[in-house]
Amino acid sequence: MSADDTSGSLDRPTEDISLSINGESVSAEVEPRHKLSDFLRDAQDLRGVRVGCEHGVCGACTVLMDGQAVKSCLTYAVQADGTEIETVEGLAEDGALHPIQEAFHEEHALQCGFCTSGFVMASKELLDENPDPSKEAVEKGLADNICRCTGYQNIYDAVLRAADRMDGESTVDEEEEA
Amino acid sequence: MSSHARTDAAEEGETETKKERFTGSGMARVEDHRILTGEAEYIHDKAPEDSLHMALLRSVHPHADIVDIDTSEAEDHPGCHLVLTAEDIKAEYNPMPAGLEGFEEWSLADGRARYVGEPVVAVIADDRYVAEDVVDLVNVKYDQLDCVVDPREAREDEVVVHEEFGTNVGDHEELVFGDPDSAFEEADHVIEKSYSWGRISGVPLETAGVVAQYDDDTDSFDIDCNIQLHTLVDDTVYETLGYDPDDVNLDVPPDVGGSFGTKIAIHRYCCLAAMASKELNKPVTFVEDRIENLQGGDMHSTEREYDVKVALDDDGTIRALDFWFVDDFGAWPRYPVNQVLKPLSVLTNAFDVQDARYEYDLVLTNKTCQTAYRGFGVPSHLYALEMLVDDAAEALGIDPDELRRRNLIEAHQMPYQLPSKNIYDSGDFPAALAHVQQRIEEERDGGLLDPETVEQKREEGKYRGVRPTVHIEPGVSGSDWTDRQRSDREGLEERNREDVAELPEHLRAEIRPDGTVKAYLATDTSGQGHQTLVSQLLADELGVLPSDIEVGYLDSETAPTEYGTAASRMAVMLSGAAQGLGKELVSNLERLAAETWDCDEDDVTYRDGAVVRVDGGGEETLSLAELAAQDDESGLTRASYDYEHPTTQLEQFDEALSKKLPVYPTAAFAANAPIVEVDTKTGEVDILKFYSLRDCGTQLNPTIVEGQAHGGLAQGIGAALQEEFGYDESGQPQAITLFDYKLPSIEHIPELELEHTETPSPFTATGAKGTGEGGMIDGPASLACSINAALEPLGVRADQIPFTPNRIRERIRQVEGEE
Ligand code: FES
Ligand code: FES
Repeated sequence: MSADDTSGSLDRPTEDISLSINGESVSAEVEPRHKLSDFLRDAQDLRGVRVGCEHGVCGACTVLMDGQAVKSCLTYAVQADGTEIETVEGLAEDGALHPIQEAFHEEHALQCGFCTSGFVMASKELLDENPDPSKEAVEKGLADNICRCTGYQNIYDAVLRAADRMDGESTVDEEEEA
Repeated sequence: MSSHARTDAAEEGETETKKERFTGSGMARVEDHRILTGEAEYIHDKAPEDSLHMALLRSVHPHADIVDIDTSEAEDHPGCHLVLTAEDIKAEYNPMPAGLEGFEEWSLADGRARYVGEPVVAVIADDRYVAEDVVDLVNVKYDQLDCVVDPREAREDEVVVHEEFGTNVGDHEELVFGDPDSAFEEADHVIEKSYSWGRISGVPLETAGVVAQYDDDTDSFDIDCNIQLHTLVDDTVYETLGYDPDDVNLDVPPDVGGSFGTKIAIHRYCCLAAMASKELNKPVTFVEDRIENLQGGDMHSTEREYDVKVALDDDGTIRALDFWFVDDFGAWPRYPVNQVLKPLSVLTNAFDVQDARYEYDLVLTNKTCQTAYRGFGVPSHLYALEMLVDDAAEALGIDPDELRRRNLIEAHQMPYQLPSKNIYDSGDFPAALAHVQQRIEEERDGGLLDPETVEQKREEGKYRGVRPTVHIEPGVSGSDWTDRQRSDREGLEERNREDVAELPEHLRAEIRPDGTVKAYLATDTSGQGHQTLVSQLLADELGVLPSDIEVGYLDSETAPTEYGTAASRMAVMLSGAAQGLGKELVSNLERLAAETWDCDEDDVTYRDGAVVRVDGGGEETLSLAELAAQDDESGLTRASYDYEHPTTQLEQFDEALSKKLPVYPTAAFAANAPIVEVDTKTGEVDILKFYSLRDCGTQLNPTIVEGQAHGGLAQGIGAALQEEFGYDESGQPQAITLFDYKLPSIEHIPELELEHTETPSPFTATGAKGTGEGGMIDGPASLACSINAALEPLGVRADQIPFTPNRIRERIRQVEGEE
């Protein structure tokens, strides 16, 4: 076997960035090639950001950047300089689930859960922009995310349930809650 | 719809017992909170501070001699810690266990690469970015060889994938049941057809991952990974490393991002990371990326070419069936995958036929190796059979619905023994079929299938159709038969019941000092809600709340080498185990209380989370917390239980078991009727509505049951219409990103009209039948039949899965050209 004892690294250029993540200011030094997803997961320890494909199809890595859903695997950390990033970790307040999270739980909209952060963040963008979405709007809003386990029906129902709840006028049958 | 059902179930339970029963209710999952808040720790999240990272250099050629590997430049990179080649690992380790005798596969390609994506070199570096830089510095010189891609062609042996094995036909078997030859001779008609089933797979959203850590002091390994069946397939890791099972501890996190069978074959990664960790004396992490996963992650599944025959009489009675197929295993027969035999457990699906022949060639080609996938070889079998029935109906001029109805197994025939010796436990297939037929009738009256609408759509080139079908989901795997191919075939004849391995499921629990219960699963899980199920079931057994029960996991070293999650097994096995464990714990606690009170055991009884003294003397009780405090050395607040595999308790299965024929003690079933619309201009299939009546015996948690059905059907829809690992003629894989391997999105999944009946299994402790594979098993066959119905006027058949738009257009042009 050929082991190499010399440790150290090649000269890797870096850039300084500052941004807000879940309401907190963060400054960091990153390589220009460092993906935002890796930066959030590894450097910021926000492991709720998942990577399923790293080429922009599955949406597991979806976070909000200045309120817009972006695929953090297709975004470089340097591109997030000066922005406000929201991840799934920022949603629950004082241990209480955000209405979207709550709705996902109640509708059994997750099985393995690997897609869930991405779906929750995509749903947040959707409902922030359109609190009362039509069936088509939900479909369009979630079409960039893949779930391999649930078959989507429950995710769709969860988004509508969350929409009802966030609207303040719940039309959801309360009895259904577990 | 489903949520109302679960409210009802909970209420019923209450009135019945005056107390809430959790089993049977749609209790929301205990797993969810940590996942929803981003706190769940999947394998990708584990990264010890000082961990190094592995990346793999993979073959770009489907078949090539490896002439030279120059690693010098890579080793000079300052971030590189280690470079491994086959030569390095052969000096110290063993080949990986193979699925058939006569193959020697090393964790890195040894002298020859046999498929695109096969790992050739492993590098370990500071982080994954650097590791990939280093991979780019490794120089491999290849001498390209001709390759073989087509499985039928592979049988000719013009290009042989493994010279030392001598042929591409890794295995062949012909199984004859009853007297099919006479039936084929005597029957009025024989219909013969060919169908093909493309390469698909589970493609879980989370790829494989490993963190391996070698411990110098104890000369042992701790390996965190997301392998499936970690207590069963751990031999693939410890045997390769050449260590005792006790020295290789596989630990799977409580949250795994999907597997669907596929992750049983990720041992190569575990071994390589472990070898590197030993060499460097540091933890080594590997996270497979999606491109690696799709092209060379050893996770493609069944690919089959079928030639099938059916013998029928004029009145439509099916006399005999004959299946021949070639199954493309890819470059290596992957341990422990063998999906060609499981269809024997549903040989005739829901039809009453006693004469059949089943023959296959298992071939090797220059493609990625096969792993298990939801349904384990059954979906393609049911597809071929149902297509054949459609074609037979057309040939005989009989209505296909009528042909099916005439041949279905009747309720009074249950339990029903198949010619292949497996037994269906219970069910009423004709009633299920009649039910969905009724739903379809309603659609003809002003609904989606209103004749006027259908006609009008047809004028626009859109063909609507539906064809109800019934399918069996064989449940509760036992692994004893899966190494049939590696057993001496003649020896099988001598084998008897005593030689059959038992396949129990293990569960254990202890009462903690605060009176709560900690239970441990000996299996891993990937989203099926096992923790929730066990907490529901044990709560009922112990008369406590599910929230009083925490469910954890055992690693491979601690857990007995039992079975685990496979083939819709856990509902049955865990519920049986939880019931047994609960009873054991209750009797332990009664004994402990009797000892404490110094009275007779008959004088105490367990009730609602406490032991009560019932021999007069007032209302004395001992709570679980008090009992825990009493438990010094006796160990009576701990218990473990092994629930025996149901078949091992039932003589009826002896013949199948001793001959190593696949046995599945439960027959969950579904009657499906997807209404499809095929756009003949674009070739797109739109599923307008999917009616499905499903029965998995007793539903332990209807919410989870419904979730499994939705998820399974989504995968079945993907398989039928859009997913495929295609290869071009030169052996290059065509689907190496998720742009090419097309997973269904929310836009592809139709409205599902699911209904459930409950026919409890007489063979299992709780009546549950298991339901994990259903939709994937029955979705493709039922969609193909509905497409046949829609395209009947054009004479087009869904003879190739997936039936993609281009294939549909091609077939339509073909028949138009013939006219
Ligand atoms: S990980 Fe970013 S889209 Fe899949
Ligand atoms: S819940 Fe598993 S991928 Fe969505």
